[in-house]
Amino acid sequence: MKWVSQDMDMFLGAKEYVDTAVLPLFPVSFGNDIKQSVAMTEFIQLLTIPLERQFKGRMIMLPGHSYLKNKSKEKLLEEVIVWEKELFDNGFKHVFFVTSDSMWKSIEGELKGGLIWLPSIPLAAMDEGARNNILEDQVKQLLQLFMQKWQEDV
Amino acid sequence: MSKHRVSRRQFLNYTLTGVGGFMAAGMLMPMVRFAVDPVLKASASGDFIPTPQKISEITEEPTRVDFSFEQKDAWYTSEVTNTAWVYKDENGEIVALSPVCKHLGCVVDWNTDKANQNRFYCPCHGGLYEKDGTNVPGTPPIAKLDVYPTQEKDGFLLLGKAKPREEA
Ligand code: FES
Repeated sequence: MKWVSQDMDMFLGAKEYVDTAVLPLFPVSFGNDIKQSVAMTEFIQLLTIPLERQFKGRMIMLPGHSYLKNKSKEKLLEEVIVWEKELFDNGFKHVFFVTSDSMWKSIEGELKGGLIWLPSIPLAAMDEGARNNILEDQVKQLLQLFMQKWQEDV
Repeated sequence: MSKHRVSRRQFLNYTLTGVGGFMAAGMLMPMVRFAVDPVLKASASGDFIPTPQKISEITEEPTRVDFSFEQKDAWYTSEVTNTAWVYKDENGEIVALSPVCKHLGCVVDWNTDKANQNRFYCPCHGGLYEKDGTNVPGTPPIAKLDVYPTQEKDGFLLLGKAKPREEA
């Protein structure tokens, strides 16, 4: 389910079936890495669309959490911990963060929710055919990952 | 002193006009959209959409067919890719099933659950469907998978809009 009114009616009517919340993490920077931060955000945004479609009835895809890259790791971690606490407190059994920013990899251990890190691929430089193939491939892997994690926790 | 008071009033005036303007724009925009939207919508329905699937290559095994078209979602258009599970039944008729689970809308897969061969399986809450799309009792879905009306053109499969089935 997406964070839109129509899907919310469905969510409120079937809460017990929606046990997973996904929060995309989007880095924003105006420094030297501006383009890189855009590519990361873009890539994850693209991937979350088919992900949500595939697992519509079980997960809620939150509007992403954007953060400034020049903030300290500790601060960023603190914010995300507030997010996951809120989500767990609201009854979600699985909380996932999806991101391209490798910074999160280094503090993965501090998170209670699962971190799904996918290196961003320079899609802008490719023609459409190649781009679709790569995306499809990435989506497949992503779906597998979710199914695996669900199974582990049964 | 009095100069001060005037400028404060002016300030208030400006702000209120500003806010009022904003509110008016906020009210107007959706109204324009409501007025225009139905006109935009009408053109997008009822058509058959071409798929890359050759009719002659359809077998008895359900195969995934992806097809893309432009969709108007509320008030913006986007390119959407849809999927159908396509096969020939025992009478040689082409069947095209929607992959959208009738429980809460996840996408079902053919033959992926080891314990349930030759069935459609929904990874979200374990929904199951027989090959013809009939929901397996005891699993969450309460209806059969939707079916796409099919057509043929130049040897290729065309699909219409998926429809729920009437309960027998
Ligand atoms: S959405 Fe398919 S079983 Fe619940």
